[in-house]
Amino acid sequence: MKARLIVNPNLCTGCRTCELACSFTHMVGGKPGLSRIYPLDGGFKDLYVPVVCLQCEDPACAKSCLVDAITRNPETGAMVLDEQKCVRCMACVAACPFGCSLFDRINNLVVKCDLCDGDPACAHFCPTKALEYKPIEEHILKSTG
Amino acid sequence: MRISTPKQLKELQKKFQDRDNKLAKKIIVCHGPGCLASGAEKIYQEFKKILSEKKITGITLEALKKTGCHGLCEKAPLVAIEPDKILYTHVKERHVVDIIEKTIKKNEIIPELLYVDPQTKEKIVRYPDIKFYSHQTRIALRNLGHINAADIDDYIRVGGYQGMVKAVTKMTPEAIIEEISKSGLRGRGGGGFPTGRKWATCRKVEDDTHYVICNGDEGDPGAFMDRAIMEGDPHSVLEGMIIAAFAVGARDGYIYVREEYPLAVINLQIAIEQAREYGLLGEQIMGTYFSFDIQINRGAGAFVCGESSALMKSVAGEVGEPRAKYIRSVVKGLYDKPTVLNNVETYANVPLIIEKGADWFTGIGVKKNSGTKAFSLVGKVRNTGLIEVPMGTTLREIIYDIGGGLIDGRPFKAVQTGGPSGGCLPDTMLDSPVDFDSLTKAGSMMGSGGMIVMDDRTCMVDVAKYFLSFLVSESCGKCNPCREGLYQLYKLAIKISEGRGEEGDLEKMEKLSDMIILGSLCGLGKSGPNPFLSTVRYFREEYLAHIRDKKCPAGVCRELIRFEINDKCDGCTACLMACAYNAITGSKKQPHVINQELCTHCGACVTVCTRNAIDVF
Amino acid sequence: MVNITINGKLVQAYEGEMLLAAIRRENIDIPALCHHEAVEPYGACRLCMVEITKNEWDGWKNHVTSCLYPVEEGLIVNTHTPTVIELRKTILDLFLASSPHSTVIKKLAAEYGITRTSYEEVPDSTDCILCGLCTRICDKMGFSAISAVGRGHGKEIAPPLKEPPPDCVGCLSCAYICPTHYIQFTDNGKERTIWGKKFKLLRCEKTGLPTITEEFAAYLIKHREIPEDYFKINDLSHRRELALKMGQITQWGREA
Repeated sequence: MKARLIVNPNLCTGCRTCELACSFTHMVGGKPGLSRIYPLDGGFKDLYVPVVCLQCEDPACAKSCLVDAITRNPETGAMVLDEQKCVRCMACVAACPFGCSLFDRINNLVVKCDLCDGDPACAHFCPTKALEYKPIEEHILKSTG
Repeated sequence: MRISTPKQLKELQKKFQDRDNKLAKKIIVCHGPGCLASGAEKIYQEFKKILSEKKITGITLEALKKTGCHGLCEKAPLVAIEPDKILYTHVKERHVVDIIEKTIKKNEIIPELLYVDPQTKEKIVRYPDIKFYSHQTRIALRNLGHINAADIDDYIRVGGYQGMVKAVTKMTPEAIIEEISKSGLRGRGGGGFPTGRKWATCRKVEDDTHYVICNGDEGDPGAFMDRAIMEGDPHSVLEGMIIAAFAVGARDGYIYVREEYPLAVINLQIAIEQAREYGLLGEQIMGTYFSFDIQINRGAGAFVCGESSALMKSVAGEVGEPRAKYIRSVVKGLYDKPTVLNNVETYANVPLIIEKGADWFTGIGVKKNSGTKAFSLVGKVRNTGLIEVPMGTTLREIIYDIGGGLIDGRPFKAVQTGGPSGGCLPDTMLDSPVDFDSLTKAGSMMGSGGMIVMDDRTCMVDVAKYFLSFLVSESCGKCNPCREGLYQLYKLAIKISEGRGEEGDLEKMEKLSDMIILGSLCGLGKSGPNPFLSTVRYFREEYLAHIRDKKCPAGVCRELIRFEINDKCDGCTACLMACAYNAITGSKKQPHVINQELCTHCGACVTVCTRNAIDVF
Repeated sequence: MVNITINGKLVQAYEGEMLLAAIRRENIDIPALCHHEAVEPYGACRLCMVEITKNEWDGWKNHVTSCLYPVEEGLIVNTHTPTVIELRKTILDLFLASSPHSTVIKKLAAEYGITRTSYEEVPDSTDCILCGLCTRICDKMGFSAISAVGRGHGKEIAPPLKEPPPDCVGCLSCAYICPTHYIQFTDNGKERTIWGKKFKLLRCEKTGLPTITEEFAAYLIKHREIPEDYFKINDLSHRRELALKMGQITQWGREA
């Protein structure tokens, strides 16, 4: 894992550009798909938090998946869901403690953030840099394992 | 006691032979499937009772022996007197006293129990003089009718375990495989794959575990060769498996036996325990580092479990369904480990090949098809039973010399070989040799060795219908062409046999058959259309008679026939009483009449009529 | 990488993958009703059969199910030869006789020009084509609640003794994976019924919306070591909670 999606709510204006970018990046049959990132109310004035998958070290989504459809991409470090393998049992949707495995009712798909194969559209289009995809420095890597 | 040197085994053999030679006479009561069904056990008990009561000098209870199938099942129950080789047929309990009083005590023959030659009407005393026996060569069935299946000592007496001891103590695995390859032994389960090549491939696969399995799931209707071997000579199977295990480097072996063969399971279990006691199975066999043990798995009676990959799944405890064998089971078989699977008869051949050498074996049979093959000869033949003939023997020899021709001297129509997925061969093929390649070329197959003889009163459409119905219900149902394709083929056969056939139906069936062969997953599906294909190949006219003329020439298909009583009728009332539908009327000594409205064409009247007074149209 | 030729085009395939994957990557449409990535290939429907040969096979050709045949160097694959199409037509024709009311089968058969079966329709036909996907996915997930019963033409898929299956957790994977949508279930947001067994759905403590069945959650807690707390609320509430937590932290930062 060389980089990480860093969220800085301080810079978020709640403009929801990330949501649009995500939705249009993950098209399903030519139509926008369900966004995997949610800018939500942070509970204080002018405070918004873009909630997105944290790509946990010990992910509940992968642990709960009984058909091994969620695996880590060694390049990006993202926990990626294989749509072809998924059987819509909803175990990961129910098990994720951050609610970041989502069910797209329109397209009948379980979806989650896959870091856009190393170039997350949300970070790419974020006008305020509240979302940034940054390389992790060596010392941080060491301390976090 | 453990046997750990070849010398020890020889000494043991000598000891048992001496003990046996002391007996003035031996009474062999055949306990094969046919004889057991006809009351062999009662006869055995009667002998036992009288022998223990009477105390005859030179004849102890040891002289009385239950053995596996003697062969001539038609004349069951059989009792043989050794060493005179006298064979008594159709023995009843009441004959036992006679046999002891006359034959055992006074060396007198009982003429009414002797076999009568159907042609010469001559009574034959010694069974080697009966054509049924004299035309056979017995290798796999060598001990049947001679040894007690439940006694390892008896097996050792006739030279048992010599081949295995030679293999384990004097040969390398490579040399064994070489010997088997050179012998040209081919799988006796039906496919005819060279056994040596199978073992060699398995040995070459690098893995810490190899398995050896014996296929005893004989499911063909009318076949009982493997059953007879497992029931009557289980040690020969074990011995073959031990040699195979040593050759491929296996530690564990499995015998897969049908649940419907309870005696086979019991006798194999006894045999395994006895072999373990003698140190011929288990840890460090014959004092070497080779260890091997065998377990019995009982199949629940699915025909498809005779297919290798389905059998392995069943052994592993899964649903018995075949898998695609793009990776062969010798490479990835039971529990995904390299596995050698051979049929009962194949294993029974192995010890003798090792003992006597490949050259001896290739001397029997024909080129590329060495050795012998066991058949269960059944159907409309005089001498039904268990036989073994050298490869290359013609069908005519089997049916007319060994089988004694057809019952009542009726004309021969066809012989069905290879089980349900085999085929029917007509009289023009009677002189074709029986071996793997010739039978396949003729449109049938060797199969495991069922051989059903049919006379002129057999309708080939009906035969195809019967075998298709068997296959439809025995298909595992996994793949579409076999499950649905065979079902539709069966439905079309019914349509023809019921007189609803149309022009073009045969072509449709042929096309469907091609697709079933092309599309099916396993060998059973691929050979599934054979009952239809082989009958239509040789008996197309008969199919066309059903379709075009709405007639069943053989007088079998109920919807297409009519019974009528001719002037030969002398009014015996036998048919009248046999008819369950009260369709026959008439008074005593007056010609009877069949009411066509009530007649269901069941044919019961034809069966009972002794005057040949009922015509079938 | 392995070099193979598909319909005349030279393509590269991954070592160890099956032919079907390579063929589908080339956007060639071949039907396969019993195939799903989540389970091992099975080879029951036989629709994905293709013709294979190699230059060194001297013109010998073989027909194999592409879902089960591993790619091999130098393999020449043809997916739409007359024989292969004939075989697919026959199989679809047979399926149409055994499942005449299935819309999926009807549509697929129509694609191959078959609108009515040329065989006798099977009495008591169902839409089940016995592809085995439901039982395989159930096995794969570790429940093995249903299995094939009987054999031959009378084969069917059923729970043990055809009673509500004790091992079923109501995850609905079987119903989802069924290619002909034959497996029926009901779900009213409170209760779910499948295979004749009733399940209570867990509900989010905050929104009251349903998530998965109690049995399924219990299984995941026990066998997959997912903390019990995770199942108390649904994904929406989880996200809201996370936003509020992070908002609080950010606010503390601002205040400081």
